[in-house]
Amino acid sequence: MRIGIIAIMIILSGCSGVTDTEEKGSTIANRNFEEIKDAAEGTEVRLFMWGGDDGINTYIDEWVAPRLQEKFGISLTRTPMATEDILQKLRTEREAGKKEGTVDLLWLNGENFRNAKNNELLYGAFTEKLPNFNEYYDRDEYSHDFGTATEGMEAPWGRVQFALQYDSAKVDEPPRTYKELSEWVKENPGEFTYPHPSEFTGNAFLRQMMLSGTENPEALAEDSFSPNAAETAADGMWKKLREWEPALYRKGEYYPASLSELDRLYSEGKVSMTLGYNEARSEHLINDGVFPESTDTYVMDSGSLGNTHFLSIPYNSTNVPGAVTAINFLLSPEAQLQKMKPSSWGDNTTIDTDKLPEETKQRFEELDRGETVPGAEKLEETYLPELDTEYVEWITETWEDEVVR
Amino acid sequence: MKKILFWVIAMLFIISPVGILVLQSFTSPGSWTEFSLYGWRGLFETTRLLEATGTSLTIGFFVTVINIAVGMSAGKALALYTFHGKTAVDTLFVMPLLVPILAITFGVHIAMIRIGLADTGLGVILIHLVPTVPYSIRIFRNGYVSLGRRMQEQAETLGASAGRTFFDIELPLLKPSVQSVIFLTFVISLSQYVITSIIGGGTVVTLAMVYFPFLDSADTTLIAAFSIWFAVLPLLFYITAGAVFRLLPYRRKSGRRELF
Repeated sequence: MRIGIIAIMIILSGCSGVTDTEEKGSTIANRNFEEIKDAAEGTEVRLFMWGGDDGINTYIDEWVAPRLQEKFGISLTRTPMATEDILQKLRTEREAGKKEGTVDLLWLNGENFRNAKNNELLYGAFTEKLPNFNEYYDRDEYSHDFGTATEGMEAPWGRVQFALQYDSAKVDEPPRTYKELSEWVKENPGEFTYPHPSEFTGNAFLRQMMLSGTENPEALAEDSFSPNAAETAADGMWKKLREWEPALYRKGEYYPASLSELDRLYSEGKVSMTLGYNEARSEHLINDGVFPESTDTYVMDSGSLGNTHFLSIPYNSTNVPGAVTAINFLLSPEAQLQKMKPSSWGDNTTIDTDKLPEETKQRFEELDRGETVPGAEKLEETYLPELDTEYVEWITETWEDEVVR
Repeated sequence: MKKILFWVIAMLFIISPVGILVLQSFTSPGSWTEFSLYGWRGLFETTRLLEATGTSLTIGFFVTVINIAVGMSAGKALALYTFHGKTAVDTLFVMPLLVPILAITFGVHIAMIRIGLADTGLGVILIHLVPTVPYSIRIFRNGYVSLGRRMQEQAETLGASAGRTFFDIELPLLKPSVQSVIFLTFVISLSQYVITSIIGGGTVVTLAMVYFPFLDSADTTLIAAFSIWFAVLPLLFYITAGAVFRLLPYRRKSGRRELF
């Protein structure tokens, strides 16, 4: 009996063994893309990414994976895991000196990228090896990720902009600037709230508000964090937020602890607006019946915060050629176009469409991202760059003092 | 009166929440009346759902078996024997519940990487023992305390072997304790997200790893369907274990009949 248990346990542990890619050569140095692609054939690429969105999961599992198999003989395995947990795992593996990891590809940006880079958890520069990146992407645009130099260690996969959703059955003309929003909040008590700033979306909302209130947002985004600059920039914002409080949902005694909480309040009709760091997100939420049909999305005229999310390779990936080949495919016009479709993920492309052949460019321009998604021109016009990641913490802490007290 | 009170409380805290959950899973999001199979379709379209369920069941099974073995022997020793340093050992056994499990996990993770247990099912089973074994020891200890030593002594004087005493006397009389341990252990093991993802490293995908990220969405219908699926598993496991348990005394019955 006991031997039986041990035997089963050994089988259990054996199931998860490391795939053997060593003989194929896991390095990409001194190889061109053709050679890398050849080395990747017949291998497994293990992609670890946050798994809480049906649209994204389906795009990877049902569109990307079969094509990678067919075109490059790569089998893609997606594992759901929060990015922070993946980095924690890599950090411990680095500490323990584990050279053969279980992750080949990961999805990250901002603070996570900075942590990964500073702790040497990434493979290193690889974007110069990607034909699609070299040909269709504007290199300079992706030289920084929330103020951290990317140095070719991550490849831009998609971009999102901060947008607000409102129920057009209840709101005729949504407030286009923060000044208008202030008036709107006071005129419609109980109809608006925003997530707690310790939460990703709530913090982004305040960062966007702060940037909109400054004379020169670009300059603030380019400089690294300074308490003085932050105080000057945020002064007007704290005043407004204090004024809002009595007119917020439940008189500001409660702030939603997560975006999903705010979304639930919105879908139950308790508040008339919600928000999110993704201009296309209302499409599938309406489609699934979570949001009312009358929902519309817009970006504020006073500016819309935008950020890019990237793909990268961990330091101990055992299949770097496979990861590079997969990334190159994910960056291709074909994969990017599919990703943009509202029926799929709805995520905006990182491609510089001016660099595309005329015919492909047209396909991008003609793609209907969905009725509620703001147009490309509008997005570009209102785009605000992201701030140094240290602002995130500063806003969270200062908000407690200034608004809650 | 008592009966009415029972039903009121059951209605308030058990029947209506579960009822709401079931209703929610069969209606479209944000609505209570519009029938829709969307939630259940979405649940079964989730990739790796069945695979993850299987992994969870397998891990839960081994965690439960080890818990019964460890819990019974330690519980018996603590309840029936006197030995030097008993209080110290007793306190030591509860320690894993007092130290934050994350702190333990981070430390254990490094060790597991070095000996090759990280990213394996066995590693996950071992880490799941940390938040479960202390409870099992407590439960069995109480079971043995109320059982006392007399029954076993009686069997012993009649010449029964230790094994016979265990199967004929201890096990049947400890049935309630065993059942509590099975249920509690399995539920705890099933719902471990963070420690599973750290030690399992994403290679061991349990149901919690698939289910928990969805709690991040506003899609209440899908979450409701997922929650029911999640809740039914321990119930099924419990019922199956109960059926297996029932086999034990029956097998002995034929032997007993020969005696008369």
